[in-house]
Amino acid sequence: MAYQVLIVDDSPVMRSFIRRVLRLSGFEVGECLEAANGEEALRQLSAHPVDVILTDINMPVMNGEELMRRLCADGILKKTPAVVISTDATNERIVRMIELGAQGYMSKPFSPEALREELERVLGERDAARA
Amino acid sequence: MPRELDAPELERSYRLDRDPEARETVRRVAAEVLETMFFTEAEEAPCDHIWLEIASCARIRFEGSHFGEMLLGISVEAADPIAASFLGIEAEELTDALRGQMVEELANILCGAMLSQLWPASTLALTSPELSPWMSWPAEGTLHCCFATPEGRLAISIRLTSGRGLPGAVSAGARPLTE
Repeated sequence: MAYQVLIVDDSPVMRSFIRRVLRLSGFEVGECLEAANGEEALRQLSAHPVDVILTDINMPVMNGEELMRRLCADGILKKTPAVVISTDATNERIVRMIELGAQGYMSKPFSPEALREELERVLGERDAARA
Repeated sequence: MPRELDAPELERSYRLDRDPEARETVRRVAAEVLETMFFTEAEEAPCDHIWLEIASCARIRFEGSHFGEMLLGISVEAADPIAASFLGIEAEELTDALRGQMVEELANILCGAMLSQLWPASTLALTSPELSPWMSWPAEGTLHCCFATPEGRLAISIRLTSGRGLPGAVSAGARPLTE
């Protein structure tokens, strides 16, 4: 099964890198959408539902924390799992993002295999919750 | 792991360049970042800084429980293949903008990962990385490492400052240690 993915990051090179890592990992990606901030992400999601969201935290216009709040406040979008990708590996930051509703957290650096494992874990939890 | 320091203690005695655990952390993090995200290998190498005069460099500052800054230099011959490897494109497809963004992103990842490991209990914020000429900071207080990769050379300098208002201290524009 190919999954629809939304990558949210203000850095174009980081978005390209995440696409590359998804390919290298063997994770089956169908359509891969991109957004440069949380606001763009919400616009994309209103027109194109996805299976999983990969989001940065620090972005202009709307950051990752606000994006998580908006997703959780939306009855439909809150069912889409979100994985945070960040350089911040401190416990404080990880706990905060999980409390805001993120289902997964990847701290940089990470390998393609680690990203795939995290995506499979959060999508497995989503599928189990639906069953 | 280097121990946490309060500001007065930092001002009195701590020298990042004299902390062997900090040096080992920088070495380990640089190798891990370059291997897992840039698909190359880095080993510490003797300093030979002539190449830094024309290197691609980025500077990033941090503030919070610690104040300081990091400088990253990548040799001309290393920048293109490392950027191409990161992006999954041919070196011929690179533009100056993409190369610059890659250098900034590498500085951001290195600095964030190093700070998270040097002081995991800290609350720190990073400024956006900026392309910059290489700067030779005073050896006293600067932890400096040079690395050799199959593609060329890298150099990292990181130093602490005493706080706001002092040379090198961050005064504005910092963001949480994220991205």
